[in-house]
Amino acid sequence: MTEGQISKPLPAGRMLAITLGALVVASAIVFGAILPAEFNLDPFGVGKVTGLSRLWAPREVAFDTSASTVPLAREYPSGFRSDTIEIPLRREGDPTRGDELEYKVRMNKDATLIYEWSVSEIPNPEEFYYDFHGHTLTNTKEMTVATYKQATATSANGALTAPFDGVHGWFFQNQSVSPVVVHVKISGFYELISPGDTGNEAGIIANVPADKAFGEK
Amino acid sequence: MADFRRSHSFMTCWIALSASILALLIVHGEFNCAMAHGIGGKDASFVAATKGADILPFMYLGAKHMVTGYDHLLFILGVIFFLYRMRDVVIYVTLFSIGHSITLLAGVLLKIEVNSYLVDAVIGLSVVYKAFDNLGGFKSVFGVQPNNRIAVASFGLIHGFGLATKLQALRLNANGLVPNMIGFNVGVELGQLIALAIMLAIMLQWRRTASFERSAVVANALILTAGFVLMEYQLAGYLVGAKA
Repeated sequence: MTEGQISKPLPAGRMLAITLGALVVASAIVFGAILPAEFNLDPFGVGKVTGLSRLWAPREVAFDTSASTVPLAREYPSGFRSDTIEIPLRREGDPTRGDELEYKVRMNKDATLIYEWSVSEIPNPEEFYYDFHGHTLTNTKEMTVATYKQATATSANGALTAPFDGVHGWFFQNQSVSPVVVHVKISGFYELISPGDTGNEAGIIANVPADKAFGEK
Repeated sequence: MADFRRSHSFMTCWIALSASILALLIVHGEFNCAMAHGIGGKDASFVAATKGADILPFMYLGAKHMVTGYDHLLFILGVIFFLYRMRDVVIYVTLFSIGHSITLLAGVLLKIEVNSYLVDAVIGLSVVYKAFDNLGGFKSVFGVQPNNRIAVASFGLIHGFGLATKLQALRLNANGLVPNMIGFNVGVELGQLIALAIMLAIMLQWRRTASFERSAVVANALILTAGFVLMEYQLAGYLVGAKA
């Protein structure tokens, strides 16, 4: 018996089986959990299925939105579009977490969007919170984030000139005791984001009534 | 066996002390094992702000790094797993300590910079090595038995580089560098003793059970797996080029 070892050494076959087994289990843990959660790598798509990929987040770098050098008159290569989006939100604290979501559109740098949104069912404007912001799309370590406005209100109108290529839009949160519908009207130079993609993770469908916003039920 | 009996009451005191220190660490939320094992947060800011000798806090940081360092702990567990005589435990742990102290001190003093992902990958490999060796793998599979004392001391050198990289990542101030570094080193040894006492206490009980030999195979297979996980994790970090 060698110092510091088991009294009956395992036969070679069993030893190899254990080592191979350990390697397989370890690789399953690394590829299935650690790579998606720590490094945003998901070669087998396991992280997406288990939701572990969501644990990863790039470092956010704040973008200064107070200054701009964009010319006041601008031309764009293609025509503008207009969309109406109706977003149903459940009452505050709904266990499905359907009381809040994000809706964004894809915009190129310097593209412009004009918007108007409102929630009619809430008498108290302090019971509805929104965060108007944009961020770059990235798989790398950093993500640029621009915060345009964070406030409580039941309506807002305005215009946005995108400070960078990325997704831009709103996080809406219903803090009232009743379910509501957010009516969003947008026009300008942007693209809608397909349901499920980054910026429209909630899966909202544009230009349909609120009861069809999540697809046909 | 008489060796163990005599040291029993001493061990009980040690365990009580260690357990209370561990409990304190947990209560204070000091257990931060979520990410790759480094020194971070408020501890990093403390080190960066320190000018001059400040030995006790550095000792604490060293002890904390060891007690919460699952990579070092797994290796030590592997080393003592089948050491039945207290004398052997002392010899091996001393070899390991000498090894990591040399590279910890030399690494910091000579400003030797090693990629921390690579060092941590080799530390993972050391865990794999010891678990494989514990089950007699080298003799049965390769027909050769490496000298275990030399292996443990050599891996000690690697673990020391790991400690040195973590400490150097903190922008140590040249003022008070030597006493602080030695304080950290002493802390590492204290932390190791605390962890060792707990491990030995559990091992002593475990070895008395009838199924020990069988469960020992399973346990070492698990240590082997954990070693592979650590190794692959750190290699991935190196390949991705994530910031250490």
